Amino acid sequence: MTTTDQRQVDMMLNLGPQHPATHGVFRMLLTLDGERIVDMEPHIGYLHRGSEKLCENESYGQIVTLFDRMDYIANLNNELVFVRAVERLMGLEVPERAQFIRVLLCELNRVASHLLFLGTYGLDVGAMTPVMYTFRERERIQNIFESVTGARLMHNYIRIGGIKEDVPSDFTARVRAALEFVKRGVDETDRLLSFNEVFLLRTKGVGVIDAKTAVSCGLTGPNLRASGVPYDVRKDNPYEVYPYLTFKVPVGERGDCWDRYYMRVLECHESISMIEQCLDLLPDGPTMTQTRRIARPPKGEVYVHAENPRGDIGVFLVSDGSDKPYRLKVRPPSFCNLVALRPMLLNSYVADSIAILGSIDIVLGEVDR
Amino acid sequence: MTQPPKPTPPERPARHGPPVEVAQEVFDVQGQETARLLARVVGTNALESGGRDEVPWVRVERERLPHVAERCRDDQSLRMDMLHLLLAVDYVEHLEVVYILLSTQTLRKAMLKARVPANDAQVPTATHLWEAAHWYEREVHDLFGVTFTGNPDLSPLLLYEGFEGHPGLKSFPFHDHDEF
Repeated sequence: MTTTDQRQVDMMLNLGPQHPATHGVFRMLLTLDGERIVDMEPHIGYLHRGSEKLCENESYGQIVTLFDRMDYIANLNNELVFVRAVERLMGLEVPERAQFIRVLLCELNRVASHLLFLGTYGLDVGAMTPVMYTFRERERIQNIFESVTGARLMHNYIRIGGIKEDVPSDFTARVRAALEFVKRGVDETDRLLSFNEVFLLRTKGVGVIDAKTAVSCGLTGPNLRASGVPYDVRKDNPYEVYPYLTFKVPVGERGDCWDRYYMRVLECHESISMIEQCLDLLPDGPTMTQTRRIARPPKGEVYVHAENPRGDIGVFLVSDGSDKPYRLKVRPPSFCNLVALRPMLLNSYVADSIAILGSIDIVLGEVDR
Repeated sequence: MTQPPKPTPPERPARHGPPVEVAQEVFDVQGQETARLLARVVGTNALESGGRDEVPWVRVERERLPHVAERCRDDQSLRMDMLHLLLAVDYVEHLEVVYILLSTQTLRKAMLKARVPANDAQVPTATHLWEAAHWYEREVHDLFGVTFTGNPDLSPLLLYEGFEGHPGLKSFPFHDHDEF
């Protein structure tokens, strides 16, 4: 049989955009040879709002809210990277208390984001119970956010030069109490799911990506570390108060779905330890720098990046000296992680496609912006 | 059906407030070292250079952009193995295409820039160097109309099929758009 004849027996399978397992409006066209995926074409852009263009029409203080809406699972991490870009351009020194609170809340947000992943990834591969446990613990973190920022999502709490206001007086006690439960919840999920035999069969050796391809695709975050590349911005280019904290960067070996899943479990433990260190070290003092109410960064350009739960987020900011940015470009980690979906999917079975897509942990609000 | 001509957007009001300051460009220790290595690798291709903190930049001719990027990738002291970001900035009279390169091994970052005339926006592709370039180039083509010669697939990525205009450009109006 010639190649052309083989193409004729291929089947096209359309997955999405309205599909519960694509975690948003993501569509992919799979070309199947029997049960094997021979080609795959991703389609994105269903959620494109032109956030970067919108930023050019807003003043710097207002843009923080737009960053909340990009990665809506890890809002505070997103706010921080934009605010740091403006502060770097203006040469602002942020008070140490504000820096500790920012990092503390970002790590809490990372745990919340990873808990959401652990639960929904269980759902993707057919484990219905873990999501109940992880959502219960995530709720405790959301309650802390609500008491601090006033909102469960879309916090708009990190401001240029510091934070909106100091944390409530019972903050430390509340976080410590919640952490006890969260720690237990992560352990419970770990025991329930990670080494379950069915789960191992669904994820071990599935969707393997080697380190060289992963780096070429721009894969970052836990997905890249699962392939054995120990790259973490918090360690390799430390910002805020990360130099004061001791933590390990978990690194995987094979780069399969299970490794990508388990990196998140390990990162939850590291983040919880970081939060406890922040609580111990939290200094007193002001939470906001003395600065003009309307930020006018000097003319110039700056590139700042940081570690999000999903990977390496970057902000390239060009200022013309006015109160609105001339150009603002975001490096969305999920966008680059999706590039690596094709090499992961090729030559795997169609039944594994949802397990592979779920393991990348995409947020479409950030992919399409 | 012919559409009525679109009204021109209102002029941006003149800014008020203190005079425009220019940001100081100062390298840190790692930035100095990276700038030195980058200057050696780019060599005579460099038209202009600068940078701040840990990220130096070099401006090259647009035809040389992928070639210089490849040298940065393959050089043993830089080993820029990741195309961290590819973007375009619209300066009205010309566009600027910027590569931000990153090394997961030496942990260095660098920017390569090239000016592109607005009426002839063409740059050679970098898809043969990095997988990540495929989607970045499609996005820049969508939003800024820059054509990457040699890219096998420049179909719309973020916009829908049949969308007219390039929304990233400064000439694209903010509030005057068609409902989809």
